Formats: sequence, C-alpha cells, structure tokens
Amino acid sequence: MELIINGKSHQIDVESSMPLLWVLRDELDMTGTKYGCGVASCGTCTVMLDGVATKTCTLPVSAVEGKEIKTIEGVATEGQLSEVQKAWIEHQVPQCGYCQSGMIVAAEALLDANPAPTDEDINGAINNICRCGTYQRIRAAIHTAAKWRAEKTNLAG
Amino acid sequence: MTNKKKKWTRRAFIIAGGVVGGGLAVGVGGMMYVSKKIKEYTGEGFGDGSSLNAWIRIAPDNTIIMAVPRAEMGQGVYTSMPMLIAEELEVEMNSIKVIAPQPESPYANPFIVVNKPRDIYNGLSMMEKIASFMPIVATGGSTTIRDSYDNLRAAGASAREMLIQAAATQWGVDRSECYAQSGYVINKSNSHKLSYGELATAASQIELSEIPKLKDQKDFKILGKPVQRLDIPEKVTGEAEYGLDARVENMLYAAIRHATYHDGQIQSVANQSEIEAMPGVEKIVLLPNGVGAAVIANNTWRAKNAALALEFEETGDNTLSSEQIAKIQEDVIANNIIATPQNDGNATEVLDASDNVIEGKYNVPYLAHACMEPINCTVLINGDKAEVWIGHQGSSLVREGINAVTGIVLENIHVNMKYLGGGFGRRAELDMILHAAAVAKEIEGTPVQLVYTREESMRHEMYRPAVASHFRAKVNENGIEAWENKMALQSVGYSSMMRIKPTFAEPPEKDPSSSEGAAHLPYQMDNVKVAFGQMELPVLVGNWRSVGSSQNAFFTECFMDECAISVGQDPYLFRKKMLKNHPRFEAVLDKVAEISNWSKPLPKGKFRGIALHKSFGSIVGQVAEITKIDEKSFSVDKFYNVIDCGRIVNPDTIEAQMQSGIIFGLSAALYGEITFSEGEVEQFNFPQYEMVRMNVAPTVVNHIMEIDEYPGGVGEPATPPAAPALANALFAATGERIRSLPFKKHGYSFA
Repeated sequence: MELIINGKSHQIDVESSMPLLWVLRDELDMTGTKYGCGVASCGTCTVMLDGVATKTCTLPVSAVEGKEIKTIEGVATEGQLSEVQKAWIEHQVPQCGYCQSGMIVAAEALLDANPAPTDEDINGAINNICRCGTYQRIRAAIHTAAKWRAEKTNLAG
Repeated sequence: MTNKKKKWTRRAFIIAGGVVGGGLAVGVGGMMYVSKKIKEYTGEGFGDGSSLNAWIRIAPDNTIIMAVPRAEMGQGVYTSMPMLIAEELEVEMNSIKVIAPQPESPYANPFIVVNKPRDIYNGLSMMEKIASFMPIVATGGSTTIRDSYDNLRAAGASAREMLIQAAATQWGVDRSECYAQSGYVINKSNSHKLSYGELATAASQIELSEIPKLKDQKDFKILGKPVQRLDIPEKVTGEAEYGLDARVENMLYAAIRHATYHDGQIQSVANQSEIEAMPGVEKIVLLPNGVGAAVIANNTWRAKNAALALEFEETGDNTLSSEQIAKIQEDVIANNIIATPQNDGNATEVLDASDNVIEGKYNVPYLAHACMEPINCTVLINGDKAEVWIGHQGSSLVREGINAVTGIVLENIHVNMKYLGGGFGRRAELDMILHAAAVAKEIEGTPVQLVYTREESMRHEMYRPAVASHFRAKVNENGIEAWENKMALQSVGYSSMMRIKPTFAEPPEKDPSSSEGAAHLPYQMDNVKVAFGQMELPVLVGNWRSVGSSQNAFFTECFMDECAISVGQDPYLFRKKMLKNHPRFEAVLDKVAEISNWSKPLPKGKFRGIALHKSFGSIVGQVAEITKIDEKSFSVDKFYNVIDCGRIVNPDTIEAQMQSGIIFGLSAALYGEITFSEGEVEQFNFPQYEMVRMNVAPTVVNHIMEIDEYPGGVGEPATPPAAPALANALFAATGERIRSLPFKKHGYSFA
C-alpha cells in the first residue's frame, strides 16, 4: 500500500485495519503523532487528511490510501517553523507537550478553514485534551498565528 | 536571606567523607561544588569538553552543557534549574544544552526526604546523609527549586570562580583583576577576554577552597525574569521524545493486561495458542505474582489487540463497590480513628456542650492521574547490563526497579531519561519498570517497549484516595470557637512507600500527607481537633498532584465558607479576621480580593467564590467567577489567582503552573471520579473520565507576590483551591452546598 505523508511516498505492508496512528508510529517510526486514548476522544493523534484535522487512532489505514496526509513533522517547511509553531513559542504554550502535536495540527487546520477565528470558533473547533491545561495560551497563540498569517498573506499579496 | 557561614567547617568535611561508599565515591554537601571527584559525573556520554562539577560541562565551542537530574514533565525544570546555574556562571540561556545524567548521588533530592532546604555550607543532617546514601534522585512534591535554589547557584558560582582563576593564571594577573560576563572572562585593565570554552580545560584542574559568595538578589540578571523555556522549540515540531517515542534497533512492543481485580491473581491464560497465532505475536509473558500478563508483538497495535483477547483463569474479590467503600468510610470515622495530628484546646468538649453547632459531611472519590502519555517503559537486558528508556519521576527508582527484577548491579543499568507526557505522581511508581523488566528478561538481547493502553492505565493505577471528612464547628461573630474534622482515608505515604521502599514505610498513623492542608490551618482558632482513620482496602493509592491538599483544601475551604455564612458574614472578611497572625496569608487573601474586585457587586447572573490554601511552601488565593446559564448549567469564566511562592525564579513558568494547576483541579471538581462495581473500576477511558477541554477552560488572571523569602513550590499549589473556590461560587449562585465531588454527580454541567 502506498501512503503519501508530508509529500513523500511510503510503501507499507500491514493489515488494512491497522489504524493510521500505529502505521506512523511503529511502522514508519514517525513518533511526533501521539497515542493518547485509542478511542478518538483526546486528539493527541490528530493529523491533517486532505487538509482536515482527523484523529488517527481509530482510522484504518485502508481509508487513507491516496489521500494527502500531513503530520506534525510536515508542519514546518524546509526548516522554517509555521506561524502556528512560532506563535506556540511566542506564547510559551507547551508544558509536558505530549498533546501539542495534535493541538498544533488542529490549529493549522482551523486557520486554513477560518483565517480569523473568534474564541467561540476556537472552542468549537479544538476539542483535544491538554492534561496540563494550556488552553488559555493555546487560544492566545491561535489569535497571534492568525494575525501573523494575515500579515504574511498581505506581504505576499 | 543571609548565609551565615561562608566557609567549610571541618565537621562538614568529615560528614561529606563519611557518606563516601560503594560505586558512588563522592561527598554530598559543599564539597560537591569544589571537589575534583565530582567532575567525573558529567564526563561520560556528554560530548567534548571539560566538567567543572557534576552539573556543568563546557565544550570547546562554548556550549554550556548542564546536567539536569530532575524530570521534565511540563513544570519547566529543564529551564529553571539551568537558570539557577546560569545566573552565577554568567552565561546566556541560549548557550545552554540540557542533558539528563545518570542517577548518581550528587543528584539526590534530600528535600523530598527531610522537607527542608539543604545547608550548602554546613553539610548534612543525619536524614540528609541517609537520603544521599540511597540516593533518591527524584522529582515530586514541588521540591525541585526548593531543593536546588542554593545548591545550583553554588555550583554555578564555583565553576565561574574556577574559570576566572584559570584566566588570571594564564594572564599572570591577580584574580581580582578579572570578571566574568556572558561566557567570557574579561581582564579589567586591558579588556582582553577568553571564552569559557578556551578556559574550561585549565579551569577543570582548579580546586577551590570554599564556596564563593552567592549574588544578592538585586544583582540578578536571569532569576526573577521571564525566560523562554529551553524544551519548547522541540515540543512544537514533534521532535521531543517521550518514553513512548523511544525507537531502538530491533525493538519489539508489548502490551499489558492486569489481573481483573485489584487484589487478584492470574493463574494461567486459557487461550494461549489462539493468542500466539495472532498476527505479529512473538510471546506471552505471565508477570510475577500473577499481577498480569503481557503480549510481545512487532507492533503496539498488534500487541494490544492480542492482550485484549487474553482470557485469564484468575482469582480476586469481585464484590468491591463504591457503596461498600462509602459504608467503610462512615464506620472508620465513627469507630476507628488512629491519629490526631492536631488537638488544640478542647474542641470536642466545646462542641459537645454547645447546642449551636454546624455540621458538614464531605467526601471526594478516587481519582486517576490520567497522564496524556499512557504508562510505558522500554527495556533492553543484555547479560549483566541493562538499558532503559523511560520518562520517570525517579531516575534512581528506574535503576532500583530493574535491579530488583534482574539482579543487575545499579551502575550497569543505563537510564535514558525521556520527556514525561505528564507525571502528576503517577510516574513516581515502580510498576511499569518492574513489569517491563520482567518482560524484557524473557526476550534477552531484544529491546521491548511495554505499554499500558489507556484503559489499562486508567483502570489499574494508584489513585488519589477516596476520602471522607466530617466537620463540626461552633461559630460566633468574631470567628470560630471550635473546629473538629474527622477523616476516613487511605494513607498515600504508606501505600506508596510499601511499593517503592518498604523498609522506609511509616505506618498510616504517621503519614503527614493525610492531614496536610487540614491540620494547622493559618486561621486563628483556639479549639481545633483534626483526626483521621485508615480504611483497609485492596485499592492502591498514590501521590496525585498536590496529594493530601488535593482533597483537604476542598473540605476545609468549603466548610470555612459554611462557617462564615452561618453567621451572615462575607467569606473574604470572615477569613481575613482570623489571619491576623499570618501576614503572608492575609496579604495573599487581600490581593486576590483586590484583583477580583471582591467588594464590588457582580453583574446579574454572575457569581463568585473564594478559597485560600498553602501547600508545598506556597500560599495560593483564588476567586472563581461564574455565569449562570440555566438552573444547574454554568460557565466558569475566570479564576483570579494570587501566589506567594517567596523568591521568583521564572515568572512565566509560575503563571503557566497556576493555569495548569487550576485546570487540573477543575477537571477533578467537575468530572473526576473513579468508582468500583463488582470489584472493577467502572471508568475505561476519557469518555467516562472526562477532562476540562477548551470550551470549558476559564481565563486565569494571575498575580505573583514579590516576597524576599526562600522559594516555595509552584507545580502543585494552584490545584487545591480550585475546587473549593468553584464550590463556593456555585453556593453563591444556587444556595446548594455541594459537599461531595464531582459536581456533575449533582446534576451540574459546564460550558
């Protein structure tokens, strides 16, 4: 089976029912995407699937063949952190950090769909669990990232 | 804060010499900053360079390598400990590279044993000697800064003096002609400078005769200022490695299934051949004493599917229920009090003789730690050597656990300390190490990563105990005449020490954590009795962020509100009146009242509650502000938080820990409940054990008091007051006094 992950092709040979999470982590050693609950509740395993934030711990690998998969490892491009990642540093968001791969990917997907989300939008879109309780800083970082993305677009435009 | 003795006494040297032993040939105390021997500890595996002491190694390219022996579990120690060193060493934070050293004696945490700062100039007390003998290299109890505050500054200052001396010698000038700045030693007379990288080799040969004087607070450049965390850049790219991310050549994966019942034992696996035929399965391992079984496979998913399919022949008590536990609580309080940690005046007599007594029966349930990273440990056993990959709060325990199972000597066990995806006390336990070692022993030469699935992590752990607390009080307009609190609990200290270090386990009646935050409250009360009894149950209990205070603050600060309201007084002013002898508490309470505009009425539909609690050396005051949406539906809008943690190390980390501690306390208060039915835990995963998420999380408005006193902890103290502040706000809104957690059990919902 061929998977396209962060723009790169990977050949894998596993049961079609194996969740994408475990293909990433144990078959491809891409450990940035985390196992948290295994029941699609906590969101630590979030990746972007054709641009949509998707939980991968219950998602059979057969369902993602031919789709564009973007993991946390693919968020920075050519060593350049994304606006979201920079905002995460600016606001010193992570504590233990375990949920942050999923949070960052979910934030990227939110901003792609909604470039200027309100707090309500963020509350509605980001449903991942952070046991360290970094929610306040995540909210602030998403607003900052939205601003920086807009500035970048304006400059480019 | 003054250091009375600047010089090493002869007695201190003798004591330091006295603890030399085994393969850990080092003294502990002041000698560790100035002795050559200690330099060996950062010598191996840390790259090029020269070690100036156990914490500092300087590479030729001027990278400052700092050994941080405490676990980074989100609380920021990979930044705060380097800050302490960097302040005295005179280096920039961005020149620092953090490494995790092996759990050797220089890195012991005596504070966790003796609960007081070390005296770096005068050596060790008897208990500290014992503590450094073992040594306990552990992270917990909000002790990192409290243990390290003088210690690491002395390490930095000593290294700085060695570098300055090396430069002075090279230039042939007096030491007083030189000073250190930003990684260089500078010659005052001609402004020539030498980098630390150039000086490190010569400096490492210098032996100091005493610990240099430490800086005055007014001269601090780093401490007390917001510093960006060193671990955050790799936590935004997915590169940060947690225990579960360890990937070693040829490794296999294993998943555990515990015995179903908490006192149960597995005799055998009924469907062994069926399991062994499942895809990728290599082996089934029955764990010692029938506590569980693990399936080894070539992928975690295959291993966990196989473990889930195991059919056990097993024994155990299938009757334990939460109803039964509640009955035992009542019985223990009525008939089986074993300790009275506070008994001032004649509380019981005053209350028995009075016909105007208020009563409150409180209780809280068991709680799971629910670290985001499921419990795991990776072990490779190779003959008389072992290697471990884990995120753990006790690196010395990691070695001890492997040793207990395999007999491999401690110095042959290499610990690769990874980031912890949450700790909260759960990762101070030995079980995952013992089990992983037992599994790895069955497949020697192959590294095995043992994982507890979320379900196994949640249903088989060491819970915050279920505790009941029954109050009586006699209140008048001037305050509280008599206060009595009788509790039924399970001793966390006894339960956890029996697992970790049974020879040091004190009986339940001697466990100070049971009554911490319940006995010796700051409030002026003449007649106080605080007593507790022990519940004998098969459920394991452990340290859960803020330990005894996690429940005791809820009990005491809610009942304090009841006392205030019983005499028609404002909850803030009622408390304040009783804090005259404790100005630091009073100042925190006043400050939180001020920043929350307590004296001003709130708009219609908004309500608030207040709580004050000291734990782990720091005082925290909180005001919860809520909006009523519907009869029992609320939004938690804001938490005003004030902390007095003495001297400030990294204010940004303190703020983050206040936000974190509040959310942690709120998850427990709103939803947290581990219950038993027919001998089994009823909660499996997050859908049954819910957490505060983005849509419920309040905004925290934080204020840090500036107090020039020895630092207190910050990782835990914000958790205890969160539940009572909210409960007191809900009372203000509804008139319903909620005396048991979680709130959802009482029909409350939050959005």
